[in-house]
Amino acid sequence: MTLEQNDFIIGQDELILVTGATGFIGRQVVRRLLDRGFNRIRCFARPSAKAAEFVASHRQTDGSRLEVFQGNLLSADDCGGATRDAAVIIHLAAGRGEKSFPDAFINSVVTTRNLLDASLRSGSLRRFVNVSSFAVYTNTDKAQGNLLDETCGVEPHPEVRGEAYCFAKTKQDELVNEYGRLHGLPYVHIRPGVVYGAGNLAISGRVGIRTFGPFLHLGGSNQIPLTYVDNCADAIALAGLRKGIDGEAFNVVDDDLPSSRQFLHLYKREVKRFRSLYVPKLVSYALCNLWERYSVWSEGQLPPAFNRSRWNSLWRKTYYSNRKLKTRLGWQPVISTREGLNRYFEACRAGEARA
Amino acid sequence: MLKVAIVGCGKIADAHVAQIKRIAGCEIVAVCDREPLMARQLSERFQIKAHYSDVATMLRECEPGVVHITTPPESHFELAKLCLNAGSHVYVEKPFTLFAHEAQDLIDLATQRGLKITAGHDDQFSHVTRRMRALVQSGYLGTKIVHMESYYCYEFSDTYAAALLGDKRHWVRRLPGKLLQNIISHGVARTAEFLTSDTPTIVVQGFISDYLKSRGETEIVDELRVMISEEGGPTAFFMFSSQVRPSLHGFRIYGNKNGLVLNQDQETLIRLRGARHTSYVEKFLPPVNLAKQYLGNLRTNLGYFWEREFQMKAGMKCLIESFYRSIEEDGPVPIPYREILLTARIMDAIFAQVATKEISEQKGLSLQTA
Repeated sequence: MTLEQNDFIIGQDELILVTGATGFIGRQVVRRLLDRGFNRIRCFARPSAKAAEFVASHRQTDGSRLEVFQGNLLSADDCGGATRDAAVIIHLAAGRGEKSFPDAFINSVVTTRNLLDASLRSGSLRRFVNVSSFAVYTNTDKAQGNLLDETCGVEPHPEVRGEAYCFAKTKQDELVNEYGRLHGLPYVHIRPGVVYGAGNLAISGRVGIRTFGPFLHLGGSNQIPLTYVDNCADAIALAGLRKGIDGEAFNVVDDDLPSSRQFLHLYKREVKRFRSLYVPKLVSYALCNLWERYSVWSEGQLPPAFNRSRWNSLWRKTYYSNRKLKTRLGWQPVISTREGLNRYFEACRAGEARA
Repeated sequence: MLKVAIVGCGKIADAHVAQIKRIAGCEIVAVCDREPLMARQLSERFQIKAHYSDVATMLRECEPGVVHITTPPESHFELAKLCLNAGSHVYVEKPFTLFAHEAQDLIDLATQRGLKITAGHDDQFSHVTRRMRALVQSGYLGTKIVHMESYYCYEFSDTYAAALLGDKRHWVRRLPGKLLQNIISHGVARTAEFLTSDTPTIVVQGFISDYLKSRGETEIVDELRVMISEEGGPTAFFMFSSQVRPSLHGFRIYGNKNGLVLNQDQETLIRLRGARHTSYVEKFLPPVNLAKQYLGNLRTNLGYFWEREFQMKAGMKCLIESFYRSIEEDGPVPIPYREILLTARIMDAIFAQVATKEISEQKGLSLQTA
């Protein structure tokens, strides 16, 4: 499907605000918007060396209408300044690396609330793109067997998963829904799977973990919901632009997804060899269940890091679909999974060489 | 049933709530944060009945017996005063206050009103610290404490470093002692417990590490060496470092007979025998003795784990439990007020000398601080 300018809710001269613009995905979103001719972009970033470098690099290449707004989303004033005249807000900034629930919450939910309040006051907003995550899905009681798509339920008790990020993202989605219901906020949720690329070299926890020393391979034959950063960024950009999708959620995964086993095999062949121990699903489920019960019984002597909710989310047998993304947004992956993995492995090799 | 309230719903509030819920005879009746969403998330996660965004309203409506203040340090003084004036006992997270005179005012106010107050020096109540205290009290060190060494280090996480270093308005930068103020009180309090004078001499060397300098930092002092001495009493050395590896949290105390080495991270306590063995025996027997002691520590720690008493914040539970008991039985507070005040005074002196050195360096002066 070829998208025309009149398929979009805004013209190329209208202002788009991108939060988290200097991050791994944010940089690519800005790039995709510029590629589509939307060059009036305000990039919101925390004051940092990275922001300064971002400003410098774009000064050299783009010059004119790219604006960098350095501030803190916890400041209502900064949010007011950033959202002024913005027709579309693409909200990527989140407390991703936070391990504590309050830290993740304040950097995801409170910041989002500040941004939403400011955008309502500004009065110019036509679309709020809430960049969410697969972490919000419960991945149980699905209508279509093992298929996880946008019809699947969101975690009703995110606090029990023991993952601050899951809790914060689920609450962030709830907040956006509430603003849609109460204030008529025009929004779209976009939920990327595992975003990979040169800026994120870690092996996804969906494949396995190193928490206990040796690499425990937990994914087995599961598909890994990969999306190469360029493809994901394009989906996010389209979610901010496409007509007729308000109130919808879109999952972002690429085509031809490898299984966990295939991914691990390729990683060992292309990057480095290491020992891994496959843990069958029945065993990993039993261990998660045991850990959860012990955590409760011991009054948190072991934190509830492993539990049934997390097992369902990460390691339950699951397939993914990008059908809605393709049919409703007109998205197509710009980088094939084969090419994406080649680039990723190359970056990993470079990282290993540096280390 | 003792009614408890929490003011400030950030990271450390989670630890407070988790530990209070393990204590019989008390109930958390409300949580409060000036950011309503933060108060709501805490109450939802821990099934607490009420959440507020105004402290005065919470105090009026819930009438808590005890309030835990877990807000950033600059608000501790005013909030503690408010709670004491409302008739609640108060547990203030560390650092107790920004300045020693504020600490004195709070203790005076609590005393006047017949209430109790404590500081969140919970490391002082960990299993291993209590074992050390019992040994010191039993006279194991001898008739006199001669010297102490307290190490309290901090390893910057990437996210914290990025947030703090990138934000010139970060609340930590507004503290008189900046990063140091938010972290060092645990390590300083360890020495304060055994110092005998209320006015020890403090000599400070503080500087910015090469790591922070390489990231363009010019304000945050993250390396600190402190000598504490007093006429006729013990001496102490305190070190804070963001660069030392392993990132130490430990304490060494030497008497005129024996010594003790405490490792807070590993929760080990080692006795250092003062008397030497004869000749080569000194080179062979002590390692065996040390190995036996480490195995003993392992057995002790496994015992706590088996009994479900080895939570990461077990010391906090013990401190809170002791504080509540002192309220209910009108007994002595778990941390003597003298110790809280001395900790605050030492910290004041440290920050004053670090600031003086910074000013002199900005002016290009050469200054020996003492």
